[in-house]
Amino acid sequence: MPTLIEDTIAAISTPLGKSGLGVIRLSGRDSRRIVLSFFSTPRNRLPDRVPVLGNLVEPSTRDVLDQAVVTCFEAPRSFTREDVVEISCHGSPVILKTALGLALAAGARLASPGEFTLRAFLRGRIDLVQAEAIRDLIEAQTLYQAKVAQQQLSGSLSRKVTPAKQTLVELIALLEAGIDFADDDVSVLSEAEIRTRINSVEAGLLPLQSTFAFGKIVNAGLTIALVGRPNVGKSSVFNRLLREERAIVTEFPGTTRDLVAETTQVEGIPVRLVDTAGIRAARDPVEQLGVDRSVEALADADQVLFVVDGSQPWTRLDAEVQTRLEGRTHLFVINKIDLEQQLDEKSLDIRSKAVCRVSARTGEGIEYLRRALFMEYGQLEGYEGLVTNVRHERLIQQALNALEMSRNSLKSSMPHEVILLDLHSALKGLSALTGETTVEDVLGTIFSTFCIGK
Amino acid sequence: MAGAFDEAYDVVVIGGGHAGCEAAMAAARMGMNTALYTMNVDLIAQMSCNPAIGGIAKGHIVREIDALGGVMGRVIDRVGIQFRLLNSSRGPAVWSPRAQADKQSYRVEMRRVLEQQERLRIKQAEAVAILRDGGRATGLELRDGRKVQAQAVILTTGTFLNGLIHIGDHRYSAGRSGETPSIPLADSIKSIGFEWGRMKTGTPPRLDSRTINFSVLEEQKGDSRPTPFSFETGAITQPQVSCFITYTNDRVHQIIRDNMSRSPLYSGQIQSIGPRYCPSVEDKVVKFPDKLRHQLFLEPEGLNTNETYVNGLSTSMPSDVQMMLVRAIPGLENAEIIRPGYAIEYDFVQPTELLPTLETKKVEGLYHAGQINGTTGYEEAACQGLMAGINAALKVQGNSSLVLERSQAYIGILIDDLVTKGTNEPYRMFTSRAEFRLHLRIDNADQRLTPLAHRIGLVSEAAFARFRAKQGRMERLAAHLRLAKVEVDSGRIAADQALKRPEVRIESCLDSVPSELREQMSWEEMKSVETSIKYEGYLKQQTAEVEKLRKAESRRIPVDIEYHAIPGLSREMIEKLSRIRPTTIGQASRIPGVTPAALCILHIHLEASSNRKETA
Ligand SMILES: Nc1nc2c(ncn2[C@@H]2O[C@H](COP(=O)(O)OP(=O)(O)O)[C@@H](O)[C@H]2O)c(=O)[nH]1
Ligand SMILES: [Mg+2]
Repeated sequence: MPTLIEDTIAAISTPLGKSGLGVIRLSGRDSRRIVLSFFSTPRNRLPDRVPVLGNLVEPSTRDVLDQAVVTCFEAPRSFTREDVVEISCHGSPVILKTALGLALAAGARLASPGEFTLRAFLRGRIDLVQAEAIRDLIEAQTLYQAKVAQQQLSGSLSRKVTPAKQTLVELIALLEAGIDFADDDVSVLSEAEIRTRINSVEAGLLPLQSTFAFGKIVNAGLTIALVGRPNVGKSSVFNRLLREERAIVTEFPGTTRDLVAETTQVEGIPVRLVDTAGIRAARDPVEQLGVDRSVEALADADQVLFVVDGSQPWTRLDAEVQTRLEGRTHLFVINKIDLEQQLDEKSLDIRSKAVCRVSARTGEGIEYLRRALFMEYGQLEGYEGLVTNVRHERLIQQALNALEMSRNSLKSSMPHEVILLDLHSALKGLSALTGETTVEDVLGTIFSTFCIGK
Repeated sequence: MAGAFDEAYDVVVIGGGHAGCEAAMAAARMGMNTALYTMNVDLIAQMSCNPAIGGIAKGHIVREIDALGGVMGRVIDRVGIQFRLLNSSRGPAVWSPRAQADKQSYRVEMRRVLEQQERLRIKQAEAVAILRDGGRATGLELRDGRKVQAQAVILTTGTFLNGLIHIGDHRYSAGRSGETPSIPLADSIKSIGFEWGRMKTGTPPRLDSRTINFSVLEEQKGDSRPTPFSFETGAITQPQVSCFITYTNDRVHQIIRDNMSRSPLYSGQIQSIGPRYCPSVEDKVVKFPDKLRHQLFLEPEGLNTNETYVNGLSTSMPSDVQMMLVRAIPGLENAEIIRPGYAIEYDFVQPTELLPTLETKKVEGLYHAGQINGTTGYEEAACQGLMAGINAALKVQGNSSLVLERSQAYIGILIDDLVTKGTNEPYRMFTSRAEFRLHLRIDNADQRLTPLAHRIGLVSEAAFARFRAKQGRMERLAAHLRLAKVEVDSGRIAADQALKRPEVRIESCLDSVPSELREQMSWEEMKSVETSIKYEGYLKQQTAEVEKLRKAESRRIPVDIEYHAIPGLSREMIEKLSRIRPTTIGQASRIPGVTPAALCILHIHLEASSNRKETA
């Protein structure tokens, strides 16, 4: 890291709580440009010291993440004497994490603890009579860096990355050897072999990336469909999850003939809940329409809640709905646990990862269900985990993007030295997770693989 | 003081190898009264190892030497007997020229060039001591007791320092094959207190070409259109010869295995480390037991000699074993050995003792260049000689130094690696060492470096005018290509866009270029324009990184900084930084093991002390 105060840094600067206001702060020459790349405001400007209202937007999908107030403090009239931009938004860890991620993706670097203060000092904003304080700061930095490094080197992520990285280093070594030792009899990889190896590096990384799927659902949101035979309480569960009366709840089966969809936030994640008409043989065309829509909604959903009535025995209709869920991950929700239970769970063939027992009437079990919605997408972490996680995610993503580019270069018959640009950039991402790989390492691999030398 | 000396020069070079020649030429051409001291003037620019110049990455270095006004490229262009552009099946960034040299002619031609140079004197004498006054070099002492005064001394003694040759269990002190080593000089340099190391390198046997059965061997011809090294060379006109390829086999490997105990490499007689990329045939057999054969190149050493170099068969086996194994090789059944192969051990000074100018940190005005710094290769040596010569002259003139950046030249990478990381293995250049490989090409070496060389007086006005005219032609062509339209499968698009496609060549984009311009331009110039257009996108991607690097390089660290007095630095960091004494924050960041936190602290310290100076 030869750049010390040239780049733009970003960090979440409020303690992480699950509600209230959260602030993300950026400092450096590109702060404004970076924030404007994902903050949409009518005039697309951030005047000095004027709070501006707008939306945080995922640039690729144009999805709105949250509303925010953004204030720019132009250099030198700011805390660090650099351009500083502060984003105040909803304090949800997920929103903050995503917004920080957008800043990093747009070119900011994650600040180390105390780095804003450090800059303030370097820019002469803070007078350094308090040498002691700065020493503590540095010590904190050193400790932090050591800790992060330690976490990464011994962490499970690093262990998971290492095999893919090893494959990548070998591929790089083979291609480099072909260039640097073209006159020795080193074997030259064919295009197909190179592609196979790139794919195998990627295959090693994709499962890791899916552990970050949490980050993705944060951007894109999650669509959840409630299915079940009529009258098991889908609309009631839906309302409970929304904490509002929205869908029509009736005692007559088949009332919800159309789809009722509502977007809400659960744990800060935008969620589109879709309440479907009961799936059953319809008695009239209108109901048929509802049923068709339900089947469609089911196909589109990221997550499905299969709702059954615990106060009733299992019916043929329940079984029919279940067959439609074959091959789909879903949550098995047993409703009406406030009533006497008739459902014999042991005789059921439950193919869901989890069973949630709830009562839409009393609210029992609803909190558990709420969290279970995101079970597959990872847990919410504490501050440090959160921040390093954003970083890891970016690095893995960087590596995957670079691999994709290398594959494109390969396809358009670019020479190996061009393909290597992307492979080296992928390696850089992975090295940041596992410790540095130097030219010497690559050369070492070459010399132990090939008998080089005349 | 003056009376104590017998002679006086501005710059004195010790050693007449490839580094010494460039150093002396550069200093003299920059107006220095220069003397080159060598033990044997008949062996100036001797190619003591293989009879070839260039090769991948090395060819790049020769181009850079040439662009900076050095002489190696011009000389090899006149005496090369087989030219090949390596990697020509790949992209232009890794094309690299290589040439077999007529070894004797190379020596003669280089000596002629040196002798024609004004202000340069060639002297045969053995230097035995570097003279110093406090921390400054003042000149040197010769074996006969004469003292030579100099404002700068450049040491380019190659493998001569405590050289020890091994052939089987025979051992003798030597410089290169047949020359005497410099032991007193080694002692004098050691007394300065530099950190030393010992290295090993090997050579193969040389055969009599009349005894080789070429008819059964694979011929390797040179290129039909030879690529010269020098930008100033028009065309290569001398006759071209072929090399031949053969392979070791099972029998050869068995002979080696049977006699392993007699190889000084495996008997324990040689302890020092040889290069991994230039292993002895003993090493090849031991380390790659599964490889059934190893490739060998038979390279002629010249047009007027029968001596043939067996590239790939470096060995230090006893002569009788060498004889046996040579004759087990197809085509060499009746071969006669003219000179047996040998291994040589020699001392080198850790290059971390040097500043990026190649001046030693311990003795002002003393420069080290070439193999003494732990490198191998004529080209690696020559470029260091050139940079040492340039910086010695600049210093004597009182001008600021010339340090090339990693993004600017392979030479910059080589020197930065050496002075920042040191080396334990003979250091050789590879293109994989270059972060900005697509930028460091043979076709743009002049564009990267010639303006610098011109500024310091190493490029004549006439040559510089030719350079400018060439740049002008290339810019004009590029401008035409931006306007011209060409047909591709998706319709008519701008020629410069079309050229970005791998399959499109400049030849198909020239229709609308005025014939007057086309006729003025050489094939190389057009290709160079094509290459810069093709790589434009990739080069742009890297600009930010180059910029970052440049910024970090521009943050200078004062020479007198005391690391132990900086609060917050750990003992390990103090030790690492004090050992290398980096001259910039950029260099500090490349020292292995120096942490970002340490850089931060260093940075704070530098800012704080410059603030203090400003306010004081
Ligand atoms: N006792 C009890 N009744 C429930 C519960 N959930 C829903 N109901 C009732 O079951 C009936 C059908 O509910 P509704 O949500 O319309 O079912 P849907 O057809 O699946 O959407 C209504 O009378 C609800 O009041 C529950 O948890 N406990
Ligand atoms: Mg309903």
